[in-house]
Amino acid sequence: MLKIENLTKNFGKITALNNISLEINSGEFFGLLGPNGAGKTTLMNHLIGFLKADSGTITYNDELVKFGDKQIKRKIGYVPQEIALYQELTAYQNLKIFGSLFKLSKKELSINIDKALELVQLLDRKNSAVKEFSGGMKRRLNLAVSILQSPEVLLCDEPTVGVDPQSRNAIFEMLQQLNKQGITIIYTTHYMEEAERLCNKLAIIDNGQIVASGSLTDLLNTLDRKKTIKIIKTAETESLYDKLCEIAAVNVFDFKYEIIQNNEFQKDSQLYTYFEKIGLSSNLIEVSSASLEDVFLHLTGRRIRD
Amino acid sequence: MFKKDLIRFMNDKTAMMLTFIVPIVLIIIFGNIFGGNNTSRGKAHVIFVNKSNSEIAKLIEAKLDSSSNIQLIKKYRVEGTDSILSFTEDKAMEYVRTGKHAAAVVFPSDFLLDTSATMNIKFYYDPRNEIESSIIQGGIQQTIFSQLPEIFPALLARQANNFLGETKANGFRNDMANMISSYFNIPKDSILKFASTKITSGLLKQTSSDSTKNSFIENLINFDSEQLVGKDLKNPQVTRIVGGWAMMFLLFTLTGIATSLFEEKQEGTLRRLLCMPVTRTEILLSKYLFSLSTGIIQLMVLFVFSWAIFDVDIFTNFTNLLIVIIISASAAVSFGMIITSHATSLSQANGVATLLILVMSAVGGAWFPTFLFPDWLQVVAKFTLTYWSVEAFQQIMWRQAELSAITLNLLILIAVTVIFNLYAINRFNKGKIF
Repeated sequence: MLKIENLTKNFGKITALNNISLEINSGEFFGLLGPNGAGKTTLMNHLIGFLKADSGTITYNDELVKFGDKQIKRKIGYVPQEIALYQELTAYQNLKIFGSLFKLSKKELSINIDKALELVQLLDRKNSAVKEFSGGMKRRLNLAVSILQSPEVLLCDEPTVGVDPQSRNAIFEMLQQLNKQGITIIYTTHYMEEAERLCNKLAIIDNGQIVASGSLTDLLNTLDRKKTIKIIKTAETESLYDKLCEIAAVNVFDFKYEIIQNNEFQKDSQLYTYFEKIGLSSNLIEVSSASLEDVFLHLTGRRIRD
Repeated sequence: MFKKDLIRFMNDKTAMMLTFIVPIVLIIIFGNIFGGNNTSRGKAHVIFVNKSNSEIAKLIEAKLDSSSNIQLIKKYRVEGTDSILSFTEDKAMEYVRTGKHAAAVVFPSDFLLDTSATMNIKFYYDPRNEIESSIIQGGIQQTIFSQLPEIFPALLARQANNFLGETKANGFRNDMANMISSYFNIPKDSILKFASTKITSGLLKQTSSDSTKNSFIENLINFDSEQLVGKDLKNPQVTRIVGGWAMMFLLFTLTGIATSLFEEKQEGTLRRLLCMPVTRTEILLSKYLFSLSTGIIQLMVLFVFSWAIFDVDIFTNFTNLLIVIIISASAAVSFGMIITSHATSLSQANGVATLLILVMSAVGGAWFPTFLFPDWLQVVAKFTLTYWSVEAFQQIMWRQAELSAITLNLLILIAVTVIFNLYAINRFNKGKIF
């Protein structure tokens, strides 16, 4: 459906996208995961025809997406990172202004506005000025504006930044509902838990390059270990830190140590035997399943929020 | 805390510009206009026709030629040819009527007859710039009084003769000289000479401060003034200034709208628009059309207000006024677009726009008539939008001129509009602005 091939974009001496290739299929909830500045928004801007690539191509259903392409803009909705609304206007006025750009008939536009407002649960507030809305309501309206033309693909560029957990959940549910209706969703985030919860296919982007892509299972399979071992920081474990470092690489966090997989200790049992040997109490050891965070760490050598 | 405010201020280039650069630039302009810093004000240009055969008239003409206040224009180029002819009285009047010059001075054939006690001067003027007319009249009087004081005893003697009769007048002067000579033991000849000089000095003083119709001096120099333009205007003062001030506020309003693209960029709405099925040109054109409409409405409101409150005549030449309004508004919008296309932020755009608008208004004649400027500043004025627009408004409203009289003004404003807008659209389309 959407195919990106060898896409490169430079801003002066900075390479924002470096020879990126991706394929996104119809109906997918595709996550683009990476830290701030990785190139997620730049890639989104190319998909929507907002930026012109230095090299490479994007095709949508085998048609080349050109810079400023009006046709592609009718098929793709875009939820920007910022709340891109006219604050002094009402929700309805905002929807009408943006919706009118799609050249829908009056009736169709009116129906679509009501549908969008209903989806984001703002129908009863449609005549209120946006500036009177809470942050979460603005985010929901931001989403509503993006689906007025009934898009085939919806690009969501970190649409939950600065949103309270309740509104975030509401937005997740709305997006999942849209995805169930057949809309392909491309979702950028640097929150691992969002990507894990929502996306059935993911790409990890770092420094303008795709470092891995596939389903969540595919990505987790790149790890040798499926579990993460963490040790709670106490006076006791701090005194054992040097000994832990003798057998594995250790990441130090505020309240925990994280044991990094080491080839010498392929089996958990070997690790636990060593912990027992150095006198580490078992109640200070936490074992959890591997996550995208571990995948990112494994692939890039650093944490996503570093 | 002080340091914090200082650092923030130093980092705010717009605040720095508005605090220091704008006032400095305006002080330079005002200084030049009102003669500060020893800079010379430009001469008032006046058409001059000498129809008199009098030697005195020729002498005065020579003195006026070297005047520091007045520049006599004696010849004109015949339109469409290279031939240069001397002004006739009719041609001079035509030039004043059409606004090519503010005034014409004619020394008629009866400028100063052998027995006349008065110098007759015809003065044709366009009171659009009253100050300019006053400067010309005052300059002529001053030149005559200061450069040719010997004329006055003769004129005074003639007046005394006319009033008392030659015999009585001579007797009066002799009696007075004899009396003073006998009481103060002073030679009679020097008393007569001194008395004449003193009267002349008094007259000069009187001239500079008193311009009442019945003053004695006006009996010596008779300005036969004829207003050629704007006789029927009900409120000439407001008619004169309304165009300039309207243009200045138009520039502020429309530049504000154009630079609102930066606000839309900051709010993210511009990017959202750019992600919708509209082209960059369409976005810019819609902004342009909105600005233009606002500008036209703003100007119309200002002119209707000046009509309703100050009785300024806007209806006699309404169609032409409307054309000037539309073209001026177009040019003002394009000015906003060019600022927007080069600024990197809203604050920078606002700072640069404020500086340029104030400077253009001051230099372009919105605040003061441009003839008050030094010659070099009058040349600079022609590089401002304000100059061409204000001149067009004055032609239309003051002398009810036809469009042909302001063709050059309109062509320049249209050219600026087209060039600025094409340039801005080109930059916007290439993504160089946003």
